[in-house]
Amino acid sequence: MVKRVVTGNYAAAFAAMLAKVDVIAAYPITPQTFIVEHLSEFVNDGLLDSAFMRCESEHSAMSACVAASATGVRTYTATASQGLALMHEVLFIAGSAHLPVVMPVVNRTVAGPIGIWAEHNDTMPQRDCGWMQVYVEDNQEVMDMTIQAFKIAEDKRVLLPIMVCLDAFILSHTVEPVDFPEQDKVDKFLPPYRPDHAVLDPKDPMIIGSFSPPEYIQEVRYQTDETMRNALEVVEEVNAEWAKEFGRDYGGLIEEYKTDGADAILITLGTVTSTARDIVDEYRAAGKKVGLVKLRFFRPYPTEAIRKVASKCKAIGVYDRAVSFSAGGPSWIEARNALYGYTIPVINVLAGLGGRDVTEPDIRLMFDKVLEAAEKGEAENEIVWIGTRGVKP
Amino acid sequence: MYEVRFHGRGGQGAVMAAQALASAAFQEGNYAVAFPYFGAERRGAPVMAFTRVDKDKIFSKTLIYEPDYIVVLDDKLCGLVDVSDGLKDSGMAIINSAEKPEDIKLGKAVKCATVDATTVALETLGQPITNSAILGAFAKATGLVSIDSVVEGIMDIFGNRIGERLATKNANAAKAAYEVTQVGTCQGGFECEKADKWLPGYDELPLGLATRPMETPEGLVGPGSFVDNKTGSWKTFAPIYDPDKCIMCRMCWFYCPDGAIKEVGEGDAKTLEFHHEYCKGCGICANECPKDAIKMER
Repeated sequence: MVKRVVTGNYAAAFAAMLAKVDVIAAYPITPQTFIVEHLSEFVNDGLLDSAFMRCESEHSAMSACVAASATGVRTYTATASQGLALMHEVLFIAGSAHLPVVMPVVNRTVAGPIGIWAEHNDTMPQRDCGWMQVYVEDNQEVMDMTIQAFKIAEDKRVLLPIMVCLDAFILSHTVEPVDFPEQDKVDKFLPPYRPDHAVLDPKDPMIIGSFSPPEYIQEVRYQTDETMRNALEVVEEVNAEWAKEFGRDYGGLIEEYKTDGADAILITLGTVTSTARDIVDEYRAAGKKVGLVKLRFFRPYPTEAIRKVASKCKAIGVYDRAVSFSAGGPSWIEARNALYGYTIPVINVLAGLGGRDVTEPDIRLMFDKVLEAAEKGEAENEIVWIGTRGVKP
Repeated sequence: MYEVRFHGRGGQGAVMAAQALASAAFQEGNYAVAFPYFGAERRGAPVMAFTRVDKDKIFSKTLIYEPDYIVVLDDKLCGLVDVSDGLKDSGMAIINSAEKPEDIKLGKAVKCATVDATTVALETLGQPITNSAILGAFAKATGLVSIDSVVEGIMDIFGNRIGERLATKNANAAKAAYEVTQVGTCQGGFECEKADKWLPGYDELPLGLATRPMETPEGLVGPGSFVDNKTGSWKTFAPIYDPDKCIMCRMCWFYCPDGAIKEVGEGDAKTLEFHHEYCKGCGICANECPKDAIKMER
């Protein structure tokens, strides 16, 4: 196995090459640009036999992906921020037509005011368009999940598109050592995509996405809902197979870190998870009973897994890098929904919006808030803004 | 674990230097991470990049606030940015400067190494890009990585971005700098003139950040506030203007991206004035001038 020091963007691009994607249709946007730039080089240098379409916008890029995937080929694109927002209406087409497009999204704040740094307010608002979403923590996971994403998305029980969400700059432009899986092992893990549900072929005509009156669409929605639920199981299976073949186990839908015997558990997603591991170690060494849950999949949402976590602790904090105005962070809203009927406090901690650095003191404060709630059995404030000037956390 | 903070300017390659150091440390069996922190993405603007190196996997994804080492790619930054901010007392500064370490003034007196990386770069690369040369100085001054590993790191990171031929030239720049690096101690007590940042609470921030020209204790903000931002220190080369050759076609004035050229005088006495405190030394004026009336000089 070759190990190299590469950026998250390089890992995302290389993974697409290992997955032997047939079509790449994309439009550049900071901080994602390097992903498609690397892929254009791979294609140009003859390393990857793939049709590379440089489109005039993200709306066109996603439209091209929908059309390409509907001919039954493996399809890939990447975007961020405004680019994802511009794709919005086409995302629904890919989801409802069950086209398993794989798309890394480099999480970047959506204007305004304009910013280029990490925030999850680009992907979170896309939760209802029929795409799966997985949030990753380091560049190895970017590589591994991009490959796993094809396997999950193309599973006959699922057949849904998927976003692999990585934090702007913190992963996209950060280099760290990454194991490069061997091509023959990836080939064995990920056989070619051979669909029969959506294959546009003049010799075997088919209509996809036709005008559909109320007699049909509700059942189509149920299909998407059911396949999204099926994905819960498929994610775990694919993770287990990956762990067996490649030796890295990500825990599937969620990963628990030192949750046994924890009174206070913080649920994080994205790169904050990584720094939080160090703080858990520090607090555990000091005798403070804290644990960490890394929420990996936001769609499908791992309701049962979150309930199991809640049944063994006294309080939960949920970290969000986005906010649904007046209602709290999206990940917290989901956790509270999953935990309806549970009596433990479930608080929301917001930090790092617009790409502000989430520091070790910030994360200590998060754990302190959850520990306090665990001790008292209730929380003074349900939604805590951390590191906001003029706001008491 | 040791942590390194690089100070450079957009275009000087601080990010690639941080990455090449990570790659060099990785070649020696370490775990290493390197990442940038971009401000506004402009050529010449102060930028930072970071490298963390440890024996074991590194989990921290935060910026570095208390570095063990600072690496400064342009000594003019020392007057603009408090480069030694947070630097550990036991730490070390590696600075691109033609001066001796003893003549360098920073916020604190620490171990210091200097190398004239700009001259090394001009001699080996033909360009004042100092990111590879400064890594040679880092290897010499700290002994944390060998110069051979630095060469490997440069070939890895630079090679992927700019090709093997140019990467080799950069590796040579690192080797040349390694030979001429001086190590000593710098002077402390220097107070950087940098202004505090305007950071009001949410309730004092204009709604949606729609900002009128506004005096604040930290200076002017909003439209026109650029007058306080003396970007002239960003340049390596400055335009030297010869009014005798100038035919007042004003092509330089038209193309100057910073509005740093001004028309002065009346009638036949009309001439141009170059505002060096704002000129970033891009050289577009010299390139556009049809009469060779503008020369770029270091």
